[in-house]
Amino acid sequence: CSFLSSEMRFHIIIAAFLWAAFVESRKIRGISSSYKRFYRERKSFLCIDGSKMIPFEQVNDDYCDCADGSDEPGTSACPRGRFYCTNLGFRPHYIPSSRVNDGICDCCDASDEYNSHARCQNTCWNLGQKERAYVEGQMKTLDEGLRLKQQLIEEGVLLWREKQAQLRELQRAAEDLQIKLEEHRKRKHEADRLKEQTLKALKAGDKGKAPSIFRTHFKTFAHFAELFQFTQLGRRFGYRAASISCLLSLTGATTLLGGGHQMDLSKFQNTLWDNFHCFHLVGSLLDYTNVKLSCNCIEHYDNFDLQKKLEIDYGTDWEYLFLNGQCYKLKVYEYMYTLCPFNMVSQKSTAGTEVSLGLWGMWAGPAKNHYSQMVYENGEPCWQGGSRTTSVTMTCGTETALRSVKEPSKCQYIMDFETPVACQPVLKQRGVHSEL
Amino acid sequence: MATFTERMGPVLLLWLAVCLSGSWAVDKGNFKTCDQSAFCKRQRAMKPGESPYRALLETMELTNTRLTLQLINDNNKVRLLLELYRLQGNITRVKINELKPLKPRYEVPDVLIREPPTEPLSLLSQDENGVVLSLGAESQRVIVSARPFRLDIVEGRDVLMSLNSRGLLSFEHLRMRKDTQADPEAENKEGTDPANPAETVKEEEEKVEDGMWEETFKSHTDSKPSGPSAISLDFSLPGVEHVYGIPEHADTLKLKTTDSGDPYRLYNLDVFQYELYNPMALYGAVPVMLAHNTQRTMGIFWLNAAETWVDISSNTAGKTVFGKMLDYVQGSSETPQTDVRWISESGIIDVFLMLGPTPRDVFSQYASLTGTQAFPPLASLGYHQCRWNYNDQEDVRSVDAGFDEHDIPYDFIWLDIEHTDGKRYFTWDPHKFASPKEMLQGLLDKKRKMVAIVDPHIKVDTNYKIHNEIRSRGFYVKNKDGGDYEGWCWPGNAGYPDFTRPDMRAWWASQFGYDQYEGAMENLYTWNDMNEPSVFNGPEVTMHKDAMHESWEHREVHNLYGLYVHRATAEGLTERSGGVERPFVLTRAFFAGSQRYGAVWTGDNAAEWDHLKISIPMCLSLGLVGISFCGADVGGFFKSPSTELLVRWYQTGAYQPFFRAHAHLDTPRREPWLFGPENTALMREAIRQRYTFLPYWYQLFYLAYHTGEPVMRPLWVEYPQDPATFALDDEYLLGRDLLVHPVTEEGARGVTAYLPGKHEVWFDIHTFQKHNGGQNLYIPVTMSSIPVFQRGGSIIPRKLRVRRSSTCMEHDPYTLYVALDNQRTAEGELYIDDGHTFNYEKKELIHRKFSFANGVLSSVDLEPNAQFTTKSWVERIIILGASKPSMVTLKTADGENQLEFDFDASMSVLTIRKPGMNVGADWTVTLQ
Repeated sequence: CSFLSSEMRFHIIIAAFLWAAFVESRKIRGISSSYKRFYRERKSFLCIDGSKMIPFEQVNDDYCDCADGSDEPGTSACPRGRFYCTNLGFRPHYIPSSRVNDGICDCCDASDEYNSHARCQNTCWNLGQKERAYVEGQMKTLDEGLRLKQQLIEEGVLLWREKQAQLRELQRAAEDLQIKLEEHRKRKHEADRLKEQTLKALKAGDKGKAPSIFRTHFKTFAHFAELFQFTQLGRRFGYRAASISCLLSLTGATTLLGGGHQMDLSKFQNTLWDNFHCFHLVGSLLDYTNVKLSCNCIEHYDNFDLQKKLEIDYGTDWEYLFLNGQCYKLKVYEYMYTLCPFNMVSQKSTAGTEVSLGLWGMWAGPAKNHYSQMVYENGEPCWQGGSRTTSVTMTCGTETALRSVKEPSKCQYIMDFETPVACQPVLKQRGVHSEL
Repeated sequence: MATFTERMGPVLLLWLAVCLSGSWAVDKGNFKTCDQSAFCKRQRAMKPGESPYRALLETMELTNTRLTLQLINDNNKVRLLLELYRLQGNITRVKINELKPLKPRYEVPDVLIREPPTEPLSLLSQDENGVVLSLGAESQRVIVSARPFRLDIVEGRDVLMSLNSRGLLSFEHLRMRKDTQADPEAENKEGTDPANPAETVKEEEEKVEDGMWEETFKSHTDSKPSGPSAISLDFSLPGVEHVYGIPEHADTLKLKTTDSGDPYRLYNLDVFQYELYNPMALYGAVPVMLAHNTQRTMGIFWLNAAETWVDISSNTAGKTVFGKMLDYVQGSSETPQTDVRWISESGIIDVFLMLGPTPRDVFSQYASLTGTQAFPPLASLGYHQCRWNYNDQEDVRSVDAGFDEHDIPYDFIWLDIEHTDGKRYFTWDPHKFASPKEMLQGLLDKKRKMVAIVDPHIKVDTNYKIHNEIRSRGFYVKNKDGGDYEGWCWPGNAGYPDFTRPDMRAWWASQFGYDQYEGAMENLYTWNDMNEPSVFNGPEVTMHKDAMHESWEHREVHNLYGLYVHRATAEGLTERSGGVERPFVLTRAFFAGSQRYGAVWTGDNAAEWDHLKISIPMCLSLGLVGISFCGADVGGFFKSPSTELLVRWYQTGAYQPFFRAHAHLDTPRREPWLFGPENTALMREAIRQRYTFLPYWYQLFYLAYHTGEPVMRPLWVEYPQDPATFALDDEYLLGRDLLVHPVTEEGARGVTAYLPGKHEVWFDIHTFQKHNGGQNLYIPVTMSSIPVFQRGGSIIPRKLRVRRSSTCMEHDPYTLYVALDNQRTAEGELYIDDGHTFNYEKKELIHRKFSFANGVLSSVDLEPNAQFTTKSWVERIIILGASKPSMVTLKTADGENQLEFDFDASMSVLTIRKPGMNVGADWTVTLQ
């Protein structure tokens, strides 16, 4: 016959178990399972750095014995110690020992505040759920982002090729122009010579001789008109206003010539020559030459501009190319911010003045993620020297948009720019790791 | 920011003018020299030795509490009334006013904490040349000489101090303006000097040209409706070569002679980018000077709130050390003597001669007159993170998170003017700080606090409640024509509330009530800036002297304005909790008595090594005159510090009373984690050291609150007989027991610290290395070094578990650092209360005394009637300079038990492990 009823025995066993659990939990409070091997119940405890041997009772006894803090994983006694929040249902993590029993709930399982006034709730499950939902959302975003990125890369490659083709065409055209220009120069020399002759003739008072000289060199004039036709090639590339004004000048010059090929010599003689405008005519021809030269320069410039655009680093797969030529806006308080990637950043206040916050500088992300940050420099000068700069952080998202703007220090702006092309497949490998 | 120009539109031109006017130094042209200040020029032109004043002994009246006596100016026959009081605690008060002024002259109110209690004076002897009175104790007498008038305070055979010994007493009597009125002057009533009446008149006319009735500085004209009213008096201090005090100046601790330049000026001014090592006026004024030699310390408190200049000369100043030695050897020299002369624009002469004789006596004498340092909430002794500006709530949140991420403690985060809705104080920017309570709750959850700025200039805007109320109640300062005075400041056009009015202050205080100040919570405190007052378009960037505070001109009250702003704000913070919670208010402008209302900082300094250095003498000077809660902007306000300078500034600031980092709007961010992990670690360590010493800081502030002793003090205060300490201002003491010599040199490889006390020993607090006192010690330093020493003979309680904020450390255990002197004894104290209420006044506190002698460390109660309990216990006792015991026993009310210990023989350091007793209990620990 047993002294104790089985029920009582059961209670004692439970009680003993709970007691053991209590003792155990006191001893090992604040350590992760991977560290449990250092804390096996023995007579003594060796500080993990091997610096000191102490009686095992001194582990977690709220007095710091080990220089590395390893004897007090569960209390706030050691200045350099750390406490392990198990956070069942959420992510486990370490907090500094100084946050143990400081009256502020740090671990979601409330394990850090076992001896304080703080009434901490176990919020791990909620947090875990939220995080799982969040991560799920993030994963979706990432998937979608990566899909969109692929598209954009493909588009980017096409765009790249197209632009490259354009560039090649332009370069060819430029070469042609170069050749023509050479020819043209020769003729200019001729024209100069002609001018000299004409002037000499004029000086000599030989009025009759001059038209004949002019007639002889009619071809020279015709050539200018030809060049005019040629410049129309420029239109195909959608050249800017400068080119157009150049064309206008050309038109003016040809008007002066009375319509190029079909020039009526007698009219010329009567209107211009008779009025001693020969000098001016030759002068106009020289102007014409100059204009032509400057047009040529502009073409070279545009050519160069496109070349420069294509020289920009648009990412390993040209995935950022599509941003060039786009602008994104965001209103923050009373300011409207505009980011035109690879071009410029600006700020416009409600009052209406627009201020440059920087021009495209470079990619400035860390080595392992070079394309995560852009820098725009040399914006409007600042009150106390220096100029405005903007740093743009690229984050993964399904849309392409400017998400936030801050000015932590005067004239130093920080933008958050979301776009699918910032999505990195590597993110996928990181997931939620819960101690479930 | 793009709209800086728009928002600041009205102020922009001025700012431009100010900013462009000098590259990085004060534009001296904006501020008057003595020559440009008519009364100073007039007064300084007086020659010594020609005093026209004569005491009319027949008018003497001696009552139990005072002596009165008339003085007559033999040049113009104007009579003055001299009052002489013997005050309790070895103070003599001398008051001089016109006998019959045309109208009352201003006497400074609200600075003395009460009418000072008097002690009887007795007549010792009297003849036609003078009177001798006994000052009671210690054979002290005051001798009143009649012709010329002169006062000498004498002890035994020694003259302690003489007044008007150089004949520079001057009292410009009030008069009617001659060109508009018949002359009703006193001399005419009483009959002018028959010898040369014409000359007197001529003199007056000449003086009119000197700016007696009108004065113009730059584009500003001071109308001076009351005409000349300056006062002046000289003081001779035989045997004195060292004088200190009269802050605020960016100058050395030991005051310099002013013969070759301007006098030290006391006139509260907003000086843009102030220059170091000169006597120019700054933001605050405390007209108190201390005089010290190996025998005695004395003080002169010149109670006058008008513009004041102080001249100092010395008969030894020019002498070389060799010259002095020669004098000594030959025994032929005259006694060294310092002569001081005070000149004020207006008011009366009301001067308190604090006769010491010890430095501590002078502190308690001054405290008995103007009160002691407000006892601050414990948290305000922690670290403060400020910047102009944290931009919005998100910014505040992320800076707060930055501290946690980098495991750096802090207690207060600060918001400068940009947090308001268009510089309208008591409001929040509706976009950037849309939900201030949410933000404050976030901080509260981490046991942290916030300070938001409230300046005294009020935007003139009929949609602004504060402005409307002040205007409708008629509370604004008035201009000379009777309208509301307006000037430019941050909000553009602004009015200045008349803080000299008690009804205005009461109303202002009520605005801090939770029902009035929207968005405020109990962890929101206040900062008063620009309270000199700063008026961007005013003369010398301040208020016109002919502006009116009810019946008084601004000229009379100028130096008091800042004190009143500070006071009204502190009272507001007290009242919002029904008088339960201690306020915390920082002020830039101050006056004598400002210590009663909170903390002071040294204004807009710059990120330069010399500014780091000057923070020491500037705070030491303030401490000497009662204002203990002093600090300089860590890192420097203007410009951007090098990383080395920033680290050194954190290390220095951690050992100065008010520890706040601050930075100008135009500077890059400089939170302590922005300079690489190594520097983050250095700044973290400096801040953590601060937190470990919080119990000691708190105890020192309790002592300052009780006795008026400065928290941060010059070495000579504790070693008054050691002349080597008299001019030291690159090192200082915290209380008696910590000596700090911060590294303030760029690229320093070492510092030389003077360790005072021939029989003292000092322990390096980091290495526990013991050094003998009475020597210059070279200490090699690295970037992590902060040379700090604990005095042998002291016990300092510390809390080594540094947490997120001081409040988080409330219940933490203590480590006692017992540093033994050569007699193997030590003493120390511990003060504990709830840290934030006024309940200490009801004795809800613990005040213990620790002493170590004969191998026994004991704790006894200094306040047996006090009631407070703490959870804190003693976790460790570290005895420096100990020998190895065989056994250590703890005895408490619960019995005896043996303690474990560890002995480091190489350093003679005994560490007693976990004694575990409650720190509030009686106990002894015995070493055998």
